[in-house]
Amino acid sequence: MTVGATKYIGERIRRREDPRFLTGRTRYVDDIRLPGTVHAAFVRSPHAHAVITALHTERASAVPGVAGILTSPEAVSATRPIRCDSTFPEWKGTEFPVLAWPRVRFVGEAVAVVAAADRYEAEDAAELIEVEYAPLEAVIALERAAEPGGPLVHDAWGDNLFLDRRVSRGDVAGAFTRAEFVWERSYRTHRHTGFPLEGRACVADFNPATGMLTVYSATQIPHLLRTGLADSLGLAEHDVRVIAPDVGGGFGIKAHLFPEEVAVCLLSMRLGRPVKWIEDTCEHLAACIHAREHVHRVKLAMTRGGRILGLTADVIVDAGAYSVWPWTATMDAGMAANMIVGPYRVPAFEARVRAVATNKCPLGPYRGVGRPSAAFTIERALDDVARALGLDPVDIRLENYVPDDAYPYTAITGLIYDSASLVKSLERARDTAGYPQFRREQAAARAAGRYLGIGFGTYLEQTAHATNEFVKRGVPIVFGYDTVSVSMDPSGKVTVDSSLHSHGQGHETTFAQIVAERLGVPLGDVRVRFGDTQSAPYGMGTFASRSAVLGGGAAWKASDVVRRTLVKVAAHMMEAAVDDLELNDGVIQVKGSPQHRMTVRDVARLAHHRPERLPEGILPADFSSTQSYDAPPGYGTFTNSAHVAIVEVDVRTGFVTILRYIVVEDCGRMINPLVVDGQVHGGTAQGIGGALLEHLVYDDRGQLLSPTLMEYLLPSALDIPAIEVHHLETPSPFTLGGIKGMGEGGAIAPLPALANAVSDALAPLGVSFDALPLSPARVLEAIQARGAASR
Amino acid sequence: MPGPPRCTVTMTVNGRRVEGSVPPRKLLSDFLKEDVGLTGVRVACEHGVCGACTILVDGQTARACLILTVQADEADIRTVESLARDGVLHPVQQAFWDQHALQCGYCTPGMLMTACELLEQNPDPTEDEVRRAIAGNICRCTGYVHIVKAIRAAAAVLRGAAR
Repeated sequence: MTVGATKYIGERIRRREDPRFLTGRTRYVDDIRLPGTVHAAFVRSPHAHAVITALHTERASAVPGVAGILTSPEAVSATRPIRCDSTFPEWKGTEFPVLAWPRVRFVGEAVAVVAAADRYEAEDAAELIEVEYAPLEAVIALERAAEPGGPLVHDAWGDNLFLDRRVSRGDVAGAFTRAEFVWERSYRTHRHTGFPLEGRACVADFNPATGMLTVYSATQIPHLLRTGLADSLGLAEHDVRVIAPDVGGGFGIKAHLFPEEVAVCLLSMRLGRPVKWIEDTCEHLAACIHAREHVHRVKLAMTRGGRILGLTADVIVDAGAYSVWPWTATMDAGMAANMIVGPYRVPAFEARVRAVATNKCPLGPYRGVGRPSAAFTIERALDDVARALGLDPVDIRLENYVPDDAYPYTAITGLIYDSASLVKSLERARDTAGYPQFRREQAAARAAGRYLGIGFGTYLEQTAHATNEFVKRGVPIVFGYDTVSVSMDPSGKVTVDSSLHSHGQGHETTFAQIVAERLGVPLGDVRVRFGDTQSAPYGMGTFASRSAVLGGGAAWKASDVVRRTLVKVAAHMMEAAVDDLELNDGVIQVKGSPQHRMTVRDVARLAHHRPERLPEGILPADFSSTQSYDAPPGYGTFTNSAHVAIVEVDVRTGFVTILRYIVVEDCGRMINPLVVDGQVHGGTAQGIGGALLEHLVYDDRGQLLSPTLMEYLLPSALDIPAIEVHHLETPSPFTLGGIKGMGEGGAIAPLPALANAVSDALAPLGVSFDALPLSPARVLEAIQARGAASR
Repeated sequence: MPGPPRCTVTMTVNGRRVEGSVPPRKLLSDFLKEDVGLTGVRVACEHGVCGACTILVDGQTARACLILTVQADEADIRTVESLARDGVLHPVQQAFWDQHALQCGYCTPGMLMTACELLEQNPDPTEDEVRRAIAGNICRCTGYVHIVKAIRAAAAVLRGAAR
């Protein structure tokens, strides 16, 4: 039989989930209102590093309306601490306590929780819990923490290193011997975070009569959360149901098992009633998940013509106080070391990789995970090299790229790049930007005392990495596959149950596009569901740009199975050969004979209600299929992109204005270009925020100086320009449909593109940046420091 | 022991008279969600920065997280639930849908209310005017590109309807 002409993949279809969001008919966790609910507020450590010497709850307990209090000693005895260990031999592990006891290791760490009639009363009571601390010296400065001799975050280790690994590939010594030019510099990215607009939120509802714990959570990973909660609380997984309803953004931040959620569940189990916790902004900024604090000292062996001969990198990542579940504390460090060679042919590579414990909020995945920092380093370094050697930043990239016809390409790191269009993408970006013309305008502006700059940021992005990659990374849970069920009911309508949660990505539309096209039914006949572990098949969830490839692939496979059943049954009922039938738009007919037809609805109805008409060996259950997909070869499929930022810097104020921002991206075959555009815009905006504004600042005693949105600046519509997006489509030769992941990519390149643009603008002043963010104060400081040095 | 004092409030919410008895410190955002039962009032930062909880109070945008319920006594409140009529989306809602101007949807109600106020005051805003108008509404998903486009598209539709 022929796969029909029903075409949805590749269409710009507006999202089917939107009406409920547009009319306010949504259900986020905060909208879950169960009878008898009490509301939780946490008591948190005001110290970065201290020992709790006493904890008094008497005054809080006496407050009317207080239903229960859980303190750290009780939580320690009633739960298994969260522990996420790498399988690397060099790993040193640690427990992340549900409530800290007796040591607290970062400002904001939870030590007790109160449940009361409403949040107002819970906060009142939380203030009455008295905790006495004996402060210890805090471990804050990253590079000092990485070296021996200072205070320790975890005493038993003897140092502060979660991980200290070395990798060496190719003839590094030879590369530096042959080098005509060596460039060495340290590049830093700063602590910032994803800040989904909806913070963490959960309602735990334990029913003592059934023994069932139902947890509504704003999570990206409902099934993994179920596993983690069951492990921590000593429950069987079938006694835990996690429901992630509408979720207000995630960006990786909500892909964790949080200690607070375990504590809220424990409190519900103690009280036998629902407990609700809605995090506030200070809690989110101080104690959720931080990201991106890296220092990379790199050395590049170069020819004078700008060819890379070898690269060494000392990668140091501030992982904060604890190892986060299910990622470990190695994710950023490992990803950065993998991707620091960028999209370039590097014949020799050596790295030391350290993940360092400090008395700060734990570091976890945020859109891009290590890649924004890696791209910042290599892309900034190449611009520095180009400036030192008198080369053009576009030319030096074209000189070193993996050529567009060299795929699949095995990189020096061992990664297999499946396909990419680096050269074509950069050329398109350069031409779109009107590069030679811009250089003339820049010269004229400089003559007039204005500082314009252009910056390129390009990358290859590993997406949808599956089994082999995660085994290599040494994580305890290998995020190797995802699973989707496709079922046809007696009305001929299709239900897709997906293990991947959608919190902005648009799965209700894009997964339906895949299923409708593969099945040959109208898009409107497909409903996509997710988020409830009671109905969705077990799977990993939404992160690492994996949904379209792994979830889409699983949906593709399951649809094909159901289509085969459908056509076999129709052939039997129509007394025709399977090969003579075609299935389009919900109708099965004999090719070239439109009078011989059945609707999908008729076939489904008869199959379910008149089983005597089914052919031998087919049962109604065959109208449903559950499939897992682990995209080969398991190392990921690679998306590429070229970003161009054109900026003007006001040298009197240090203010950076983005005049133009261009993205040329290639994520293979697109399922829905409208959704792809949205993802590129959103990722790019978060990258711009990270490059220019967002900064989680700690003082040298570990106090967070940016605990509200008055200090932690999120980009507004005045900070983000009208981002121009252009697409190339180089399909993956490996994945079903040639689809690649692309959710994170936008966030990777703005860091280097903007730093390169601002450095280009200020080149006449001899200023170039090796650290972010490019806030007015920091830009001005760099200009003035340079001015002072040259006076 | 007597409980904390409570205040009686009366207001109009989306055209309907609503009465309530609340502690004096209860925020309007909490009252609208918990007592009135609206799901279109979204609260994010709770300190007046992000704009997610933007509603109309007596015809003007305001942040429901910065207003005490008692301050809204006798006020006329409009939320996103008031925009669609008889199952037909308001032109601003329709434009947001057509232009893919939302992703996770958390900022959307506040963004729509701000956009509606802008278009009432300025039927033909430039791109820059749109950006200035929504600068107090943070969106973390879209990069604002499609939001700006949608608001200008809605302006054109509304101008056409007004003619």
